[in-house]
Amino acid sequence: MYLSGAGSGVLQGGPGQATLGPGTPLECKVLGRRPPLPLLLSCIIILVVAGGAGLIFNLVMPQGVGWLPSYVSRPLWQEAGLSEAVRLQKQGAILVDARDASDYKLARAAGAVNLYPAEIKLLWPLLKQTLSAAPAVVVSGRYTSRWPAARIGQFLREQGLAKVYVLDQGLDAWRAAGLPVKTPRRARP
Amino acid sequence: MKVLAELISLACRLFLAGLFLWAAHDKVWDPASFAEAVARYDLVPLWMVNVGSVLMAWLELVTALCLVFGLATRAAALWISAMMVFFTGLMVYAGITGAGFDCGCFPGQNGHPAGYEAAWRDFLMLLPALWLLAWPGRWLTLGGTAPKRQRLELKL
Repeated sequence: MYLSGAGSGVLQGGPGQATLGPGTPLECKVLGRRPPLPLLLSCIIILVVAGGAGLIFNLVMPQGVGWLPSYVSRPLWQEAGLSEAVRLQKQGAILVDARDASDYKLARAAGAVNLYPAEIKLLWPLLKQTLSAAPAVVVSGRYTSRWPAARIGQFLREQGLAKVYVLDQGLDAWRAAGLPVKTPRRARP
Repeated sequence: MKVLAELISLACRLFLAGLFLWAAHDKVWDPASFAEAVARYDLVPLWMVNVGSVLMAWLELVTALCLVFGLATRAAALWISAMMVFFTGLMVYAGITGAGFDCGCFPGQNGHPAGYEAAWRDFLMLLPALWLLAWPGRWLTLGGTAPKRQRLELKL
C-alpha cells in the first residue's frame, strides 16, 4: 500500500468509525511493518521457553531426570578426603572407581575395582556379598561433577551398606599425592 | 544478488534446523543418557549436571523449531552460534586432555569421539549460524511470504 501527498476533507461518524468529507485537512504517513522484537528479548524468550519446557517434560515424563535428584539434594553417602580414603583402604575398605571402563583402563588407583552407574544394578546381586562384608566402601569418580561416584554411593547406601564414602578428589590428586596408580603396561612411559 | 542471499539463508536455516532437530531429539527423550554425557566432561559441579543438560537439550530443540518456522531467526542463530563456540572450545579441551570418549553431540554411542576432529566440525557448523545472524532471510518464514502489514498514522 502506497500513500503520498496531502489533502483536505470532512470527518464524519461516531466512536469506532469515521468517514472523511471534503474540506478536512489530512496528513497520512505510512509507518511500515511493526519492528521485530529486540534481539536480546527474543533470546531471553527462547531461553525461558526452553527452560520451562524442559522443566515440565522432566517432571511429567517417566524418563525425566529431575532438576535435583536424591544424590544431590539428599545424599546418603559421606565425603572423604585423600588421607581418609587411604586410611579406610588400609583398614580393608573396597575402593570403587565409578568412571566408565575406558577411563578405568587408562589409569586407576591401585586396588580399585570398576563399577559404572549403567551396570551397578545388573551386577549388584553378584557383588552384594563382597561389598556388604567390607568395613567400608570408598567410591571415587571425577572431581568436579562427581556424578558417577555420587550415583554409585547413593545406590550402595540405598541397598543397606552402612559406610559409603565418596572421594572429594580425582585421580590427578591421587597421583599428585604420590599414591599408587595402576596403568596398562603399554601406556607406561 | 538478493535472491542468492535469500537462497543461502534458507539453505543455512534448513540445514541447521535439521541438524539440531536430529541432535536434540535423543537428548530430550533420554535425558539421563545426556546428563551422563555432560558429566563425563567433568566441567560442571554435581548439582548443575541435570539442570545444565536438560537446558542445553531443550535449547537445541527450541532453536531448531524457531529455524524451521522462521520465527526469531536471528535470536535462534545467536543461540546456535553461542552453543557452537562453546562446543568448539569443549572439543578442543577434550582434544588437549585426550578424553577420547563419545562427545554426546549426536545420537549413537561412540560414533562421534570428542577431540580435534569434532572441534573442526563444530567450527564449520558455526559458519551457517553466523550467516543467519547477519542475514536471517525472509523466504519460507512465518509472515515472510504474507502481504506486508503496514501501519498508517493519520493526522487531522
